[in-house]
Amino acid sequence: MIFRSNRQKDDQLTGWLKIWCMLIFLFLSGFLLAQTRTVKVGISQNDPKMFIEPSGKPAGIFIDILEAIAAKEDWKLEYYEGSFDAIYYRVAKGDLDLMPDVAISPTREKDLDFHKEPVLSSWSQIYTRKGLEINSILDLDGHSIAVLEKSIQQNVIESWIKGFGLKVKIIKVHNFDAAFAAVANGIADCAVSNYLYGRRHCKQYGLVDTGVVFEPATLYFATTKGKNQDLLDAIDKHLLTMKKVPNSAYYAALKRWVSKDEGFMLPAWLKFTILIVILALVLTVIYGLTLKHQVNIRTLELRKSNQEMEQRIIERTAELEKAMLKAKEADMLKSAFLATMSHELRTPLNSIIGFTGILLQELPGHINEEQRKQLTIVQNSAHHLLDLINDILDISKIESGQLDLHYESFFLNDSIDKVVKIVMPQAEKKGLELKVEISQSELEVYCDKRRLEQVILNLISNAIKFTETGYVAIIVHSEEDKYQIQVQDTGIGIAPEDLEQLFLPFHQIDTGLTRQYEGTGLGLNICLKLINMMGGTITVDSIPGKGSIFTVIMPYKKEFTG
Amino acid sequence: MKELVLIIEDNPENMYLMRYLLENHSYEVEGVITGPEGIEKAERIVPDLILLDIQLPGMDGYEVARQLRQNPVTKTIPIIAVTSYAMIGDREQALEAGANAYMEKPINPDTFVADIEKIMENIIK
Repeated sequence: MIFRSNRQKDDQLTGWLKIWCMLIFLFLSGFLLAQTRTVKVGISQNDPKMFIEPSGKPAGIFIDILEAIAAKEDWKLEYYEGSFDAIYYRVAKGDLDLMPDVAISPTREKDLDFHKEPVLSSWSQIYTRKGLEINSILDLDGHSIAVLEKSIQQNVIESWIKGFGLKVKIIKVHNFDAAFAAVANGIADCAVSNYLYGRRHCKQYGLVDTGVVFEPATLYFATTKGKNQDLLDAIDKHLLTMKKVPNSAYYAALKRWVSKDEGFMLPAWLKFTILIVILALVLTVIYGLTLKHQVNIRTLELRKSNQEMEQRIIERTAELEKAMLKAKEADMLKSAFLATMSHELRTPLNSIIGFTGILLQELPGHINEEQRKQLTIVQNSAHHLLDLINDILDISKIESGQLDLHYESFFLNDSIDKVVKIVMPQAEKKGLELKVEISQSELEVYCDKRRLEQVILNLISNAIKFTETGYVAIIVHSEEDKYQIQVQDTGIGIAPEDLEQLFLPFHQIDTGLTRQYEGTGLGLNICLKLINMMGGTITVDSIPGKGSIFTVIMPYKKEFTG
Repeated sequence: MKELVLIIEDNPENMYLMRYLLENHSYEVEGVITGPEGIEKAERIVPDLILLDIQLPGMDGYEVARQLRQNPVTKTIPIIAVTSYAMIGDREQALEAGANAYMEKPINPDTFVADIEKIMENIIK
């Protein structure tokens, strides 16, 4: 029982469900039908009213307006392309729902339904190339005219030819493009099109409009007779609304398709100018790029040569460093050579002078007078050789920069006393007076003491050497920033022609008494070099037969070391 | 008692010259040729004076003077550097190394011994 009652319940439930489902389905389908209406639209090429763009998309004034209405009415538009006649036939038959751009005529009203509010007003107009004066129908006489085949325009032109007795050659074409092209190419003198097309394209073909206007018409959408009143009502409703609003889709479509190309119609001179400007810009860019390229190349070249230069500098620096090192090594070698020479030359002299001295002292035993005389010659020669060696070493050291000066402060008086003590025996031996005049009791000076003493000793020794009678005087004057040491003698003097060469090495004046005045011939040269090194000067004045004055002037402060 | 002099000198003629002069003036003389020999000998005999040649083969006179000065046995022995070096600075370098005095070659045989005695007197003072 329970089971059966359940089954009955189930049957009841299934019945209710079926009814509900049907109701929902009906509601939904009704809703769907009410909301989406598929409209099959037939279009033919009639730029700019309606046409298929190269991309395959329908465009034009009618299409824009229709799309705006469809969007509001939720119509689904399906487009079918064909010739005007073919589309007309298919709409009349009911195969398609709607076609745009149809002028009302009694014949067409039999085949199709039209709405009430016109979409566009249009008329036909004659266009011609520039320079051809066509201001009236009569001006067409003797010209050829390109006309759309089987169009109303063809009929009209033909009626004019008949009516006015004109000689006009009609060239039949299939569309307005061909008509305009025919004029542009010189095949026809004039062309006929609706003003919408003409206005949009005449400049593109280099044509101008004429005053010959005819066949004004108002254009509508048309539908299959008695079948699509809803479409026509909706179109009317929206057209009326849109026409009242300045920025509506209706006016946007007109603006877009009627005046579009006009905006692009630039004067030839402006086009030319723009072309020139663009060309100039392109050239500038190309030139700029070329320049940049050249700059890059030059930059690379510069960088390369820079690197080469740097490499060269590095190499040269290395070479110089090497040379410097070599020079330093050479200097050190020279220094070592001088030291070795000094040692090696003095060592045998040490023996010669030493043993000659021992023999002369008669330490090993008695020697006779002849032996003493000869040993004395050996001793003197050895001493002379030693002097030469010492002078040569001095000059070598000065010239190679090996001679270092040791500056110190000391009293010049002490140095003069020291030198005088050394030379006093020689002066006394010759019976010469040795005078010393120093302006200050304690004259402190700053230079290389040993070298200054060497110079003073040399000058006084020379003076004594070349003076037989009279005196040798050492006169010291102190001035503000320098001091002067003069060595005066009453000796043989120096001839003017010899004065210039006096300080050159190995120059000893030819007195004819050379053997009498033995010397190395290097002493004064060394004096000059040493004094110059210490920033001083040495000069000589002499009167032959009367005597000489050697003057050394030294700065108090170290000014120059050569 | 005779005073003892150590001569460090590699040149035999110079050695002979100095030895002859000193021995003729009643000095006792010991002679060696190299620096290390001199250091060793000085430590052993402790002479009254060392005559030190600077230009020696191997270890030079400066180094010998330095080592003698570092050794407690020899550090007070008077040293006279005898050198044929005429370069400036040799004198200073010898004194820096520890020599008490400096004598330049070639020696003057007439004044050699007198010069030495003068130097010795100054050192002892």
